[in-house]
Amino acid sequence: MKDISTPINKVDNEEKISGKAIYVADVKIPGMLYAFTKRSTIAKGKIVKRRYPNLPEGYFIVDYKDIPGKNIVKVIFDDMPVFAESLITYLYEPIALVVGPQKEIVLKIIDEIEIEYLEEVPNFDWNDSVVHYHFDKGLGALAFKENQIIEYNYETPYQEQAYIEPQGFIGYLNGDKITLKGSIQCPYYVKNAVLQTLGFAEDKVRVIQTTVGGAFGGKEEFPSLMACQLAVAILKAKKPIQLVYEREEDMLVTTKRHPSKIRFQASIKDGRIFGLKVHVGIDGGANIGLSGVVLSRAMLACSGAYTFEHLDVSGDVYRTNTVPNGAFRGFGAPQMLFAVEMFIEHVAKDLGKDPLEYRISILAKQGDLTATNGLYRDPILMPSMIEKAIKISDYRNKLEMYSNSNLYKGIGMSLFFHGCGFTGSGEAKHIKAKVKLVKKSSKVEILIAAVDMGQGVKTTFRKLVASILDIDIEDVIFNNPDTDFVPDSGPTVASRTMMIVGGLVSRAALDMKQQWDNDFLVIEKQYEQPEYIKYDEETFTGDAYPAYSWGVNIVEVEVDRYTYQVKIVKTWSVYDCGKAIDERVVLGQADGGLAQGIAYGYLEVMEHKLGKILQKNMTDYIIPTAMDMCPMETVLFDNPYAYGPYGAKGVGELTLVGGAPAVAKAIENAIHRRVFKIPVTPEYIMKLVKQNED
Amino acid sequence: MKINFKLNNELVELDTTPNRRLLDVLRDDFGLTGVKEGCGEGECGACAVLLNHQIVNSCCTPLANCIDKEIITIEGFSKTKRYQVIKDAYAKLGGVQCGFCTPGMIIATESLLNKNPKPTINEIKIALSGNLCRCTGYNLIVEAIVEAARVGEGLW
Amino acid sequence: MVEAFVPKNLEECLLRLNHNDYEIVAGGTDALIQNRSHTSMPIGFKKPVIYLSLLEDLKYIRQIDNRIHIGANISLESILESEITPKILKDIIIEMASPAIRHTATLAGNICNASPAGDSLVGLYLLDALLEVQSYQNKRYVLLKDFITGVRRIDLLKNEMITEIIIPNLDFTDCYFRKVGPRLSDAISKLSFAGAYKLEANIIKDIRLAFGAVNTTVVRNKEIEKKYINKLVSDLKNNVENLVKLYEPFIKPIDDQRSNKEYRKEICFNLIREFVDKI
Repeated sequence: MKDISTPINKVDNEEKISGKAIYVADVKIPGMLYAFTKRSTIAKGKIVKRRYPNLPEGYFIVDYKDIPGKNIVKVIFDDMPVFAESLITYLYEPIALVVGPQKEIVLKIIDEIEIEYLEEVPNFDWNDSVVHYHFDKGLGALAFKENQIIEYNYETPYQEQAYIEPQGFIGYLNGDKITLKGSIQCPYYVKNAVLQTLGFAEDKVRVIQTTVGGAFGGKEEFPSLMACQLAVAILKAKKPIQLVYEREEDMLVTTKRHPSKIRFQASIKDGRIFGLKVHVGIDGGANIGLSGVVLSRAMLACSGAYTFEHLDVSGDVYRTNTVPNGAFRGFGAPQMLFAVEMFIEHVAKDLGKDPLEYRISILAKQGDLTATNGLYRDPILMPSMIEKAIKISDYRNKLEMYSNSNLYKGIGMSLFFHGCGFTGSGEAKHIKAKVKLVKKSSKVEILIAAVDMGQGVKTTFRKLVASILDIDIEDVIFNNPDTDFVPDSGPTVASRTMMIVGGLVSRAALDMKQQWDNDFLVIEKQYEQPEYIKYDEETFTGDAYPAYSWGVNIVEVEVDRYTYQVKIVKTWSVYDCGKAIDERVVLGQADGGLAQGIAYGYLEVMEHKLGKILQKNMTDYIIPTAMDMCPMETVLFDNPYAYGPYGAKGVGELTLVGGAPAVAKAIENAIHRRVFKIPVTPEYIMKLVKQNED
Repeated sequence: MKINFKLNNELVELDTTPNRRLLDVLRDDFGLTGVKEGCGEGECGACAVLLNHQIVNSCCTPLANCIDKEIITIEGFSKTKRYQVIKDAYAKLGGVQCGFCTPGMIIATESLLNKNPKPTINEIKIALSGNLCRCTGYNLIVEAIVEAARVGEGLW
Repeated sequence: MVEAFVPKNLEECLLRLNHNDYEIVAGGTDALIQNRSHTSMPIGFKKPVIYLSLLEDLKYIRQIDNRIHIGANISLESILESEITPKILKDIIIEMASPAIRHTATLAGNICNASPAGDSLVGLYLLDALLEVQSYQNKRYVLLKDFITGVRRIDLLKNEMITEIIIPNLDFTDCYFRKVGPRLSDAISKLSFAGAYKLEANIIKDIRLAFGAVNTTVVRNKEIEKKYINKLVSDLKNNVENLVKLYEPFIKPIDDQRSNKEYRKEICFNLIREFVDKI
């Protein structure tokens, strides 16, 4: 019996390599109309008057008045309008769609629509808190009485998902039923949002995923906005309509990673960290949306890969008049893990300790309490993972050599974890995932809402079922999710797909195996939270996640002493994601995730000026090219988790969250200065180098 | 204006303005949707095709520049033996995730190996430098090309 | 709809140019982006267009005596591959954009774009490039440094086009190009530097420095360079800061979405120091 991890040829290689795979912009429907969006030209104010031009036959302007149901996009916190009615809260906020058969005329109409604004002064300062959370562990704030306090502040920027395929939908009316096809991560998020906006019955909206050309969280909640607008337009025009963004529009108006400012304070007793006080502020942009969950995950990550007995953790989502921010692989953890990794390193140095030795001494262990007094129930292999990473990279020797020389070379190590699954009680209370397996003679079809956006879900799930049922993978069917056929297994987010949905699918497959003699069989399963997972969202108490994955990243850099440009020389990573359902798939995720995490740390710059994103195309927003990449070595440790299929835990986000602190520390090592924000650009390095030696 | 060129090994004639992007002509007039639009500004390479067997970005190639020239898209290239070798190498090494950059990468691979059948790692990276990928981190694609060059010895 | 013409040879092209104010498009990699419209729509040119697509007669690079003549329509990649192309130009071209862009972009196109960040311009200024400019009635020669008059401004009449770029075949002791971009390929420079020198024994016989993206046009100052002709290399190496100070008033970078002026200025000085260090 082959080990499940043994790689197989991905099931969608053929169609993708040959160019036959259908992405949303490739779909043509005869008679289809094109849609463009009319957007606000101010960051804050009120719409006082609208003047719509006379329209030629077959052209429509679609705005809030055309919405039959609610003018709110259903996300987690419902404060995003489908179309602006009278309030404008960010630059380029959508006001209307214009649709018609010829793009030239649609664009002309967009220009001719006159909006009169009463402009107000926009707020870009982080002073309007719209979500505030706080929790304690142990002594909480009391841990800070009469002890020495060390405090540092850290900052992280926007990050743009920069999927190579821009966002888009195409939709049509079939009788009284609306069908939408799009580049999405969450078919049911989209369906439920459209149902709310149209006020339709459940069977009158159908959502189908087209091949997704990258998503990384950027297509988690944002597509719901486009889908709602498009659905309203289709209802009005009664014709098929395509709404596809070009790159600049996509970069200017879609959700990005929340910028953050994090303050860490350590209470020092007996030369060690006695307690930590953390405050994290994130910029939510103009709407809250799912910012509250991002904030939660960030706060929950504050202890990093370590255990601290006393914690006082608070956070705020700030509203500003900028484009609303949203999901991006890591979802609050990359921000916090950068800060905590740098902080522990900085404090250790202040206390005269070897940072690595100190960090190893406070690593979380099986049986420890998490930041929220939950339990690390499962074995944690970090000490041996660190040892392995050190061995393959020669970390200690290099660190010593680079620390004591002027070579402008450096090496840095980050230690991190990632909670697998939806934060908090999400799985049990909100998602309640359902899966379905259908057997028809020798073929088995997997019916779930999980989306393959490149991470290999189609391959790994077919492999999983084939393996459990002991049948050929060719006999397992998994089509792109279509809400007419698949139950709601939840969104493709939070590193939950294999662990939670795969867990359900594998249990369904095991059931099916018992009844294999039946020619036709339908097995359904619904998520049941293991008894022992208890979490109180209000007080942040208990097990915020059912399982954790762990990682070590080591990055070696060279800094050019004349230009301060950073060259990534090599990386070494060790991950524990339970069990790889396909090793090659996981290694591919590891490379891609680390590339994004490292680039977040030193390369990708996105800023806004007066609410306008300054880097609005792929020329100005810099992501790595093949020339920027270095050899990457990755080792996977098996550490099977009882409730994951074959022991699998989450891995999608784990491989991104450690990249930034690893590269930041490597640069610190090279330039002998301390880094407090990312990206560590040459401009920032120059500033640091000119300051006095640390 | 009558515009003649060779497309995927067939002579074609269009009666249209030369002021059009080759990308739009391929996708809209010929239904060749394997050629993708990722950025529209010659930065991402998802729209790459072979013009006289050299990689160009079809989003910033005017139709006028195709007159009397030969264009090969992924659809045309996928009928060749070289493609089979490249395809197998990409599949074997795990060089495909979301697939949106992939046709462009295949074109870049062919453009390289056609001129340089035994490229070094650095030469491969230079050849890929105009094709952005957000999923793979590039290493598996580079390895796939090394493999293709090795297995396909004699084809290029 | 904007008119388009595809002349079959240079004569036809020059004749056509007499009729109107045209946008001349060679590779199109800059023109199509600058005039971009939307997916599936025709390119948004604002003037009628002349395409050089069929002008094979302008696709050449040849050496005549001690000068290299580069046809206006030859691609950057072809220049890169030619044996007679000077090293400094090759060093620059390999770092420009990407292979796909280099397969169709041209030097003439770069020159007419006259971007302050244009990499090829830095090398061409260093080599005192001369341009052959033709109209149907006239042929003239103008130095590149006189041809580019400001940011995206060139000394070109409506009925003229560049037909050739002429550079000397010089023999430097060493020369190199340093591009400082936000990543290692496929990027617009934050700043760039080209340097070349010729030594005989320890005497400087020729020294040239050119900087890109730190002023409205490429910075090259022959007055400063002249100060070091026939001087000892050691004199220069021992007084690098003097050289830096001499260039200071001409280095006037800006803040933009790619970088800031402090960084550009400081790195510019560092590159001078590095250049001298390496001699």
